[in-house]
Amino acid sequence: MSATSSGAGLRHGVLAVLVVGVLGASLGCGGAPAPEARDTLVFAAPADATVLDPHNTTDSQSDQVVLMLFDTLITFDQEMNIVPDLAERWKVAEDQVTWTFHLREGVTFHDGARFDAEAVRANFARVLDPEQNHKRLPLFEMIDHVEVIDDYTVNIVTAYPFGAFEPTMAHVSAAILSPAAAATHGGEFGRSAEATSGTGPYRVVRWTKDFEIVLERFDDYWGEAPPVKRVEYRPIPEAASRVIALEAGDVDVITHIPPTDLARLEEEAAIDVHKVVSIGAQQFRFNHARPPFDDPRVIQAISYAIDRRAIVENLMPGLVEVSTGALTPIMRGYAELGEISQDQGRARALLAEAGYPDGFSTTISTTPRYLMGVELAEVMAAQLGEVGIEVDINVLDWGSMVAFWEGLLPENNPQEIFIMGAGASTADADWGLRPIFQTHPTNENNYGYYSNAEFDRVIQEAMRETDPDARQELYRRAQEIVYLEDPGAVWLYDNYFILGARSGVVDITLSPLGVVTFERAAFRE
Amino acid sequence: MTAALAAFGRHVARALVQVVPVLFGISLLVFLVVHFIPGDPAVIAAGLESSPEVVERIRTELGLDLPLHQQFWRFLSGAVQGDLGESIRTGRPVAQEIVERFPHTFRIALGGTLLAALLGLLVGVTAAIHHNRLWDNLIMVLTLVAVSTPSYWLALMLMLLFSLELRLLPSIGVGTPLHYVLPILTLGMQSAGLIARMTRSTMLEVLRQEYIRTARAKGLVEVVVVYKHALRNTLIPIVSLIGLRFGGLLAGTVLVESVFAIPGMGRMIVEAVLNRDFPLLQGSVLVVATVFVLTNLLVDLVYAIVDPRLRTA
Repeated sequence: MSATSSGAGLRHGVLAVLVVGVLGASLGCGGAPAPEARDTLVFAAPADATVLDPHNTTDSQSDQVVLMLFDTLITFDQEMNIVPDLAERWKVAEDQVTWTFHLREGVTFHDGARFDAEAVRANFARVLDPEQNHKRLPLFEMIDHVEVIDDYTVNIVTAYPFGAFEPTMAHVSAAILSPAAAATHGGEFGRSAEATSGTGPYRVVRWTKDFEIVLERFDDYWGEAPPVKRVEYRPIPEAASRVIALEAGDVDVITHIPPTDLARLEEEAAIDVHKVVSIGAQQFRFNHARPPFDDPRVIQAISYAIDRRAIVENLMPGLVEVSTGALTPIMRGYAELGEISQDQGRARALLAEAGYPDGFSTTISTTPRYLMGVELAEVMAAQLGEVGIEVDINVLDWGSMVAFWEGLLPENNPQEIFIMGAGASTADADWGLRPIFQTHPTNENNYGYYSNAEFDRVIQEAMRETDPDARQELYRRAQEIVYLEDPGAVWLYDNYFILGARSGVVDITLSPLGVVTFERAAFRE
Repeated sequence: MTAALAAFGRHVARALVQVVPVLFGISLLVFLVVHFIPGDPAVIAAGLESSPEVVERIRTELGLDLPLHQQFWRFLSGAVQGDLGESIRTGRPVAQEIVERFPHTFRIALGGTLLAALLGLLVGVTAAIHHNRLWDNLIMVLTLVAVSTPSYWLALMLMLLFSLELRLLPSIGVGTPLHYVLPILTLGMQSAGLIARMTRSTMLEVLRQEYIRTARAKGLVEVVVVYKHALRNTLIPIVSLIGLRFGGLLAGTVLVESVFAIPGMGRMIVEAVLNRDFPLLQGSVLVVATVFVLTNLLVDLVYAIVDPRLRTA
């Protein structure tokens, strides 16, 4: 008995030592010492980048890393003016379709290859090749062909005069990647640190999915060398943790600050809060193919029933501004048409005129993917209830929500009122209005089957207009139609893009496109 | 002894064979569930500014246009060869994603379980031997608090205290052993409370048994009575609880991983659901389920060590 017992005791002891040892060893691994603090800037976003291939990126978390690694021919400055980047100058010919770019010499890619006109041609050939199926192909469909004139001159020829050509060329997806690296890595380009190569101020040295992306200054960068040597991207999905990590100094910069923490962080001496009006607006849209939303008066009534000021002050204080038009003020082509104030009397009168004196019942679909998505629907429901519109709320996850927006025919689409975050990534009226509201048989981008003959005519004319003043007039008319006369949505508010930074970090580049970059950022003691 | 060993071997073999249909069932169930939730991975992957042509080509590339039984067969035949396909979101092999993620989750789940087991047993036994006295009452209240504290709240409170106020521990991430302290504390507390309460009640029952009275009557020191005679007999239900908790912790790390920004399996699975990343979801659930089943098998074996009667059973 005694022998057995001590044997069992030994076994337990060994087991315990083994388990503790395994745990200790496994905890111990990967414990590299942190690099020198002031040489490394740590940035926490809510999610990791998906892909670092400009031709395939469709989310802002990827965009903002891509912008550190790649350059475009022309680019937006912080005021959204278009300025030279890889092209030193450019002009459009009399025919309004031939755009000539004179390229910067002495630029190399991270993989050592030379940047020249052939690289530009190869890039547009890549994104426009349907076989390769890059997600950003639709953005460049207006390009007919690209001609190499000499080593550092290239012509990009569009199929028709295209008014939004410059903002489209400044789009992150028009960034130039190394054709050699693209050929080597094929579909894997941009999916790992090794398979990513651009001409930007930083290069990727490590990418551990959902944990960190480590960028290092590119020593052969053509422009001014960035002050900070290393930039680390650390996704922190939980908003409260992101804020604590910033306050504790574990990270230097965060975005997506929750409304509940914003005012407190603004008061804190160790934290600076930076804001910029963005391209993003929050709306509710309608299935115009279903009664009663086929009657513009009903949508006008809903628009007047809503108290936007109350929504902004109570749900999103300091994070947004009440909308004043169909685009946000920072966008090209924006026309200020004014806030729409609550007017319940007018709402009831419009409902009666449309044949619904006692209101009607409907459903709002929403998703918590949008900040306060569910709360917004609840407030809308309460405010619509006051004019007799009875609302059910249907809360869906993102995947279920987009299933209704994949090019359905009206008879297959049961949605009635649905939440929508709008933000055209070219920051231009064309991309911000045309795909969304132009008549189309399915709802591939015009999710609510909006259709207005005059709008269609004006928006097509505007797309082909290259004179800035004439363009502006056409877009003003288009916005009067879609915002006021025959509303394509209820616009609630325009978002600020907001970030919090440790107060020693200066010169962070905050873009209205909803992305942050650090090519000029520095530490000030 | 040899006969007993052979019987034990047969027991293990039988259990291992039973694992196969369980895993097949899980694969089928997961496959069906992910394919019947609304939402199209190709649409999500393409992004909102894309076109139907792009979506259609992605769908073909991913094999999502094939009939369901063919898709399941592709998944199953790949899985038995160790090929779990490629993630839709990242385009990388699912097996590689899991190999990178699993160690983080395993560490915090194992750490949480060990913490819960050691703390729970110690506290539970202490409560039992001080039955109905101050220590017992205090422990009962504290364990009740531990069991009913939401781990999300606990995680943030620990972060506020140890990272923000005391500046002792890093708030987020992985990399050094210190990074794991708060996640393990968060994950282990609830289970520690459960194990403590279970230990206490089982121990109390055992302490009332005749043989304990005999041991005491023999004049054995109380420590020997409690830790040698009583505790061993208390362990069987506790071991099975610990085994179950480990499985539960392994599958339930998502909150802790999100709050502490740990790139583990839990977060990956939630992301996979949200992105309808079918291959990644199927692969990860299959791996977690396999570990869960193997843990239960291990618990069976530990029974046999703790209670020799079960070896021949």
